[in-house]
Amino acid sequence: MSAIPEIDLEKCTGCGDCVEKCPTKAVELVRDKAIIVRPEDCNYCTDCEAFCPSGAIKCPFEIILTKLEPQS
Amino acid sequence: MSSRADFLRSLPYFATLGAEEIKRMEKDLLECSFGKGELLFLEDEPCQGLYAVRSGQIRIFKSSSEGREQVLLIAKPGDTFNDVPVFDGGPNPASASALEPSTVCIVPKETVLSLVADCPSALTIIRLFAARLRHLTLLVEDLSFRHVVSRLAKTLLELAVVEGGPSPVPRLTQDEMAAMVGTIRDVISRALRALEKAGAIRVEGRRILVVDPEKLRGII
Repeated sequence: MSAIPEIDLEKCTGCGDCVEKCPTKAVELVRDKAIIVRPEDCNYCTDCEAFCPSGAIKCPFEIILTKLEPQS
Repeated sequence: MSSRADFLRSLPYFATLGAEEIKRMEKDLLECSFGKGELLFLEDEPCQGLYAVRSGQIRIFKSSSEGREQVLLIAKPGDTFNDVPVFDGGPNPASASALEPSTVCIVPKETVLSLVADCPSALTIIRLFAARLRHLTLLVEDLSFRHVVSRLAKTLLELAVVEGGPSPVPRLTQDEMAAMVGTIRDVISRALRALEKAGAIRVEGRRILVVDPEKLRGII
């Protein structure tokens, strides 16, 4: 499953700023709350987190040590 | 100049000591003079003891590998310094040099520790405080000498764990990373891109993969 932002619906005021800012239109207001309706379109740009005035949206990153070969 | 015993009694550390203890400390005390600009000790050297300024001024500072300096304290007569390594057992956390001709008294580490030898819990508490103070000194060093990309590299290296291992994988937002590194989220975003461009990390969705720890270490 692709990564999607975490939205705290209690904090969400339904202002719609995230909908306006989302470059891929992955998030919409559903019954006045922000919902990721198209998770497959979310590229985790974190713009919704940056513009949410109530701090309802969080985009945490996992910090993982891996032994993958670096890309050139 | 006051007698050594009076001087020791004037220091906050020893203000409540009895005559016998002051006498014992006086016996172990070393008094040294330094000319202007002379080094008293270097960062990372083993700790000799607790220093107290009798006269003059001493500059306590940290140095970067490029030779930049950050002054932590200008110690004046009656001030003590180099307390941290006395109590946490580590090396000197900073260097010290004389700003002007100065005289200092050095109370050996073992003599200072003997004051709390009969109260192990007090020593434990003091050790914890000393460790926290050392950590803050390192934070000052990071913020003074390292640029954001370097500080983020250090933070990622410290936090990164292998998936499926005993430690849970840390999860941080860019705002949280910014607070740890001492910057703002926009700068973190650019710094992550810089580290990715350098080949040290790869950002895949919500995962920051440290793919080349050695490269990351080289950026610190």
